[in-house]
Amino acid sequence: MKKILAVMLALVLVLGLAACGGSTTTTTTTPSNSTDTTKTNTEPAAQGSSELAGTYDIVVWVGENAVELTQKQIAAYNETNTDGIKFNATVNPVSEATAADQMLVDVSAGADLYCFAQDQFARLVQGGALNQLGAKASEMVRAANDPGVVGAATAGDVLFAYPLTSDNGYFMYYDKSVIPEEDLDSLEALIADCEAADKYFAFEANTSAWYIASWFFGTGCVSEWTTETTDDGGVEFVSVNDTFNSANGLIAVKGMKKLVDSPMHLSSSKAAEFANGAAIVVTGTWDYEAAESILGDNLGATDLPSFEVDGNTYHLGSFNGCKLMGVKPQGDDVVKQAALHRLAQYLTDYERQMERFEALSWGPANLEAQQNEAVQANPGLAALLKQSPYSVPQGQIHGSWWDIAKVIADDVKAAEDEAGLQQALDNYRDKVASLFTMTADEKNAWSVIGAVGGTMWDTDFPMHQVEPGIFESDPIELHAAEEFKCRQGASWDNNFGINGAGGDNFVVEADGCYIIRLDTNTPDEPLSLKAAWSAIGAINGTSWDTDFPMALVEENVFESEPMELHAGEEFKVRQTGSWGVNYGATGPDGDNFVVEADGTYVIHFDLNTPEAPLSLIEG
Amino acid sequence: MNENTSLKRSMGLRASARISNSIIHILLIVISIIWLIPFACILLQSFRVESTWPVPYVIPETWGIDNYVRLFSTDFPRWYIMTFVIALVVAVCQTVIVLCMSYTLSRFRFKLRKFLMQFMLILGMFPGILAMIILYRVLDDLHLTGQYGNSLPGLILVYVASSGMGYYVSKGFFDTIPKSLDEAARVDGATRAQVLWKIILPLSKPIVIYTVLTAFMGPWGDFVFARYVSQLYPSAMNVAVGLQSWLATNAMTTSNYTMFCAGGVVVAIPVTILFMCLQKYYVEGVTGGAVKG
Amino acid sequence: MERDSDMKRYTDMEYLRLSKGQKFLYKLLSFLISIPLKIWAGICKIGRFFKSLGVGLVRTLADIGVTFAKGDWKTKTSFFIMGFGNIARGQVLRGLLFLLFEAVFIFYMVFPTGGGYWIKMLGSLGVQGPIRSYNEILDQYVSVPQDNSFRILLYGVLTIFFIIAFIYTWRMNVKQNKIMEEILASGKKLKSGKDDLRSLVDDQFHKTLLALPLLGILIFTVMPIIFMILVAFTNYDGAHNGYTNALFTWVGLENFRTMFSWDVGGVNYAATFGEVLTWTLLWAFFATFTNYFLGIFVAMMINKKGIRVKKLWRTVLVMTIAVPQFISLLYVSKMFDVNGLVNGALKSLGLITQSIDFWGSTANNGLIARIMVIVINIWIGIPYLMLMATGILMNIPADLYESSRIDGASGWKQFSKITLPYMLFITGPYLLTQFTGNMNNFNVIFLLTGGRPTNPVASGASGSVGYTDLLITWLFKITTGSDTKYYLASVVGILVFLVVAIISLIVYNLLPSVKNEEDFQ
Repeated sequence: MKKILAVMLALVLVLGLAACGGSTTTTTTTPSNSTDTTKTNTEPAAQGSSELAGTYDIVVWVGENAVELTQKQIAAYNETNTDGIKFNATVNPVSEATAADQMLVDVSAGADLYCFAQDQFARLVQGGALNQLGAKASEMVRAANDPGVVGAATAGDVLFAYPLTSDNGYFMYYDKSVIPEEDLDSLEALIADCEAADKYFAFEANTSAWYIASWFFGTGCVSEWTTETTDDGGVEFVSVNDTFNSANGLIAVKGMKKLVDSPMHLSSSKAAEFANGAAIVVTGTWDYEAAESILGDNLGATDLPSFEVDGNTYHLGSFNGCKLMGVKPQGDDVVKQAALHRLAQYLTDYERQMERFEALSWGPANLEAQQNEAVQANPGLAALLKQSPYSVPQGQIHGSWWDIAKVIADDVKAAEDEAGLQQALDNYRDKVASLFTMTADEKNAWSVIGAVGGTMWDTDFPMHQVEPGIFESDPIELHAAEEFKCRQGASWDNNFGINGAGGDNFVVEADGCYIIRLDTNTPDEPLSLKAAWSAIGAINGTSWDTDFPMALVEENVFESEPMELHAGEEFKVRQTGSWGVNYGATGPDGDNFVVEADGTYVIHFDLNTPEAPLSLIEG
Repeated sequence: MNENTSLKRSMGLRASARISNSIIHILLIVISIIWLIPFACILLQSFRVESTWPVPYVIPETWGIDNYVRLFSTDFPRWYIMTFVIALVVAVCQTVIVLCMSYTLSRFRFKLRKFLMQFMLILGMFPGILAMIILYRVLDDLHLTGQYGNSLPGLILVYVASSGMGYYVSKGFFDTIPKSLDEAARVDGATRAQVLWKIILPLSKPIVIYTVLTAFMGPWGDFVFARYVSQLYPSAMNVAVGLQSWLATNAMTTSNYTMFCAGGVVVAIPVTILFMCLQKYYVEGVTGGAVKG
Repeated sequence: MERDSDMKRYTDMEYLRLSKGQKFLYKLLSFLISIPLKIWAGICKIGRFFKSLGVGLVRTLADIGVTFAKGDWKTKTSFFIMGFGNIARGQVLRGLLFLLFEAVFIFYMVFPTGGGYWIKMLGSLGVQGPIRSYNEILDQYVSVPQDNSFRILLYGVLTIFFIIAFIYTWRMNVKQNKIMEEILASGKKLKSGKDDLRSLVDDQFHKTLLALPLLGILIFTVMPIIFMILVAFTNYDGAHNGYTNALFTWVGLENFRTMFSWDVGGVNYAATFGEVLTWTLLWAFFATFTNYFLGIFVAMMINKKGIRVKKLWRTVLVMTIAVPQFISLLYVSKMFDVNGLVNGALKSLGLITQSIDFWGSTANNGLIARIMVIVINIWIGIPYLMLMATGILMNIPADLYESSRIDGASGWKQFSKITLPYMLFITGPYLLTQFTGNMNNFNVIFLLTGGRPTNPVASGASGSVGYTDLLITWLFKITTGSDTKYYLASVVGILVFLVVAIISLIVYNLLPSVKNEEDFQ
């Protein structure tokens, strides 16, 4: 019976696991330290310099080339701060472009302080990986930094990260020996130059939405996303104002087609392409050294060119992005969290941004630093500055947008005519729209829309399926000459009018309370009004002039909304808002029903007992 | 058919054999060249010192060993040693486990045997990628990840723990050893364990070496799971994750590409030499085992 | 069951007279026709399984009852104190193991954050999400995570494993008491602890050998798979990570409904899945068979009489096995870049003027990239086949060739009549595992193309699908993409499993050599 042995072994391992799991759970329920780092001293230091004094073990992620500098800066902070804070920092090289990927695999194992490119901001907030800045810190950061960058670190109206740089934009590097100065402003001339010299024009159109957007911004299109913070501290995209699919968008893709159709177009954004036969590379400041080491004195950097469509010229736009620094929420270890915020503030202040500029040529986000002469003289940053009138702050963009937009160039290249180009934009629009259409149910649902119920073709009234293909609205009060239609998924792609799909508006003939009925099985005459019962009387502050709709609760039984009734008030129930068919307390055309006592009632109307159909139900 | 024509035919055969052999030789040379080009290119690029990014030519303009020297100023030696240790331990443990598993399934007939084999076959059909996220969390709870400085035992544990699933090849091999050998020994009073130690294992050199070899080669190439476990601590990376981290972004590729090639060469050398030396056993193991399923 | 009678049933004699192709067609048709029967048989089998399970359960319960009723006081005590009977009757080692196990189990279950807690929480996957507050003194927004859905699911599953193990052990404990009573009643002696230990290396040796490997598989393979399947019924994603932002919870079949009915703005998961699946099957087919035949071909060339330096050719070829793939494939991927070595070489040779965009061209559904991955996979895959075929070819009885040569068979005839059938018979099972292995061949696709070129139609689907993406790489992209929908990845994972299982089942039924493993011995 040696099964016992196997079982024992299993037991030991399971216990080992469970014990660990157990202990970590305990730490979440009792105030203790978080799981990822050990804090060697949380007691306020004996010197009593500040409630934050202590030594903290932290992990910091910065880009590979900034590791050394950051270590120095943290050491300097340990020396200079007056709060008695000491950081024992492990600084790991993690690219700003991929920090979120690793962070979101397991937030608790991620760095306490980390740098990231702004396109990952929304994901990080949503994943609970960024701690909101305190009120004072927010105020200081907002005052000191470029508003565009502050916007990139803001979700809803809450600031979640510290501005680190403001140089994540692109512009044009070129080989002076190939490209004549006078051609720099014209895309067409540049393409011609490249083709003549058999050199590449590197522009990463086919794989990156970031670069593709350049064309659309050039023609004035926008893709502006609105975020809200949710109750559970996340961030949610609630709407988008996207005009890529428009007349201007069509101009943009026409311009784009000129480039992507050129045999010398290369979809890349690496400065190293200069060594591989490129004469132009569109990329950013981070590539300045690599480009200079290849081209030397032949390297030129300037703003993007203009392109010409139908006689008008459009200057290529660009994204102006930034890098941010975030603090990971530290659970109930508020002291450590506060200390980390202090450090983050220090690492992103004026002096530290300037140090970073001097050592790494990172363009500062700090307003004062941006005015610095040395900053303005840097060739890469100068080109960026030259491009800046045409650039758009990146703001918050839905994570899926990058995947959706990056295929535009492929579609454009494949397009054979203007219809093809339009198709590319249509595809794009549909996919963007799909981000906000939540479920297939909602997509399939029918609704009434029109100049009804006090709305002006701007509100959808839901309809419910009663039988396959037949949908009904709730009872609604309609007036003569009011118009409406029915549509599916709150879009006009599928809609019915009085004479069928896409037909004319249905016009109401007489005032009344109706249920709107849509029968898709009779597509020639799909819409009809169904009589609905309503209560009318000297009730609820009205005097026999207002119908209160009643809803079907079961076969032949209808109920009104709860309303306050007073003793002595009288009412009847009638159909279609007219007296043709009506019921009173004693049946058809009977006497008024008289309320006996004050109270909040639901008017209950039961056609199964036509002699005494009316009653009141409290509630 | 008279003597004469028969002789002619055999002469003709010999001549045509010579021609076809020459054609085959040429073909083999061509194939070999195609096979070797990428490796030759890696090697050549690793000696290029005039630039550090990818270029469209092969022969370096300036030769040097700068890239190899640079390797030693990075964490590379550490990654290398770590991967080597993992590979060694995994090679030993995995071999023990795989042999236990396959020997049992080949030699014993017990109640759940068929069920076990079918069950493992079905398990193998699930894509393993998702399991990594779960295993990563388990390791993190056991404090066997980068932040605890323990990624080495963690990786070994995961590599070894599931290795029993890969019993097919060696079971196939054991199936080819006649059962009469065991039975004879059992009659002489040997226990089952003694049969395994004294009779079977000495006959199983090819499959043992095959298993050791494949187990040793595995850990060098893992970059997805090892990356999770490292939690991006450079000290906790294995060589594949470390080398890949050099090509993480365009800018990094520009400055690290040739060093990546040098690292690749250094990684490939011991594995390749070991493989070449033990190739004979590998072939015996594969042919003895793989086809038997 | 009524059988479709369109097809003629052949007698054995008629069947033997058919040609190869006809035989195969016949077999295939009979198989297809037998599918409903097989399914029915399968259902019956499952039914029988449950029936026998039920009967077994009733019997077991009855047996336990009888044991309790008829047993002496030692046995009765053992029902509550496990191992008591063993100890009281002299089997101290066994008894102590039982007792220890029970003690540990009880301790674990009643421990405040032990098994009882996990099981209790499993139904809801946690009730209290992170608590948020504002600390005015330090000007800090504080978020303190409470329950952890991920851990609850993980340790809930583990605890269930543990409970099953306990029930099993308890049952064993009861059964042993009964057996002991019987043995003692018949006047024999009980096994001592020493006997137990000896049997571990002798007649129970297989249990010793299997204990560790199976334990590893249970915890590191079975548990994650169960977990993964369960995730498909939750809303676990980046916005509900179960701890720091929001808990996740059970959603029933909602995710499957999304998978099959979602069709919004051209983002259609079912269609995307179909598209990726088609390419996955195509890829697996070509990758398997190109390697197979070319591998045999190369092996035959090398093995041919009169070929020199055989060892050198083999050694050159196996370089691709020896060098880790993340180096060789990543490098080859760079070689075929727009500005890579290959384009550079072609241009300097004057063969092309404009770079070929091997990985990025979307023409014909990314045909170039698709062909390239299959071709490069040949480079990686042939050597394995070559090595294997070398061994098998040597095993083909030489007299077969001898006699066929006397009959005047040509080289091609020898190949198609002797070599190939022999190879196919021996390597049938291997081909099947290769095929399913290629369906899940993550490395080649991920390292070479990463899924490129982008598929404009499917790119809106979670994970940004490309033309060379296999199901397995798509799945990986979903878990690492911009919205990390783990639940969707789980659904895809389950579908992948179903596809692989169905294909295996079909092939298994068509290949006689897979079925009977004893044949080979």
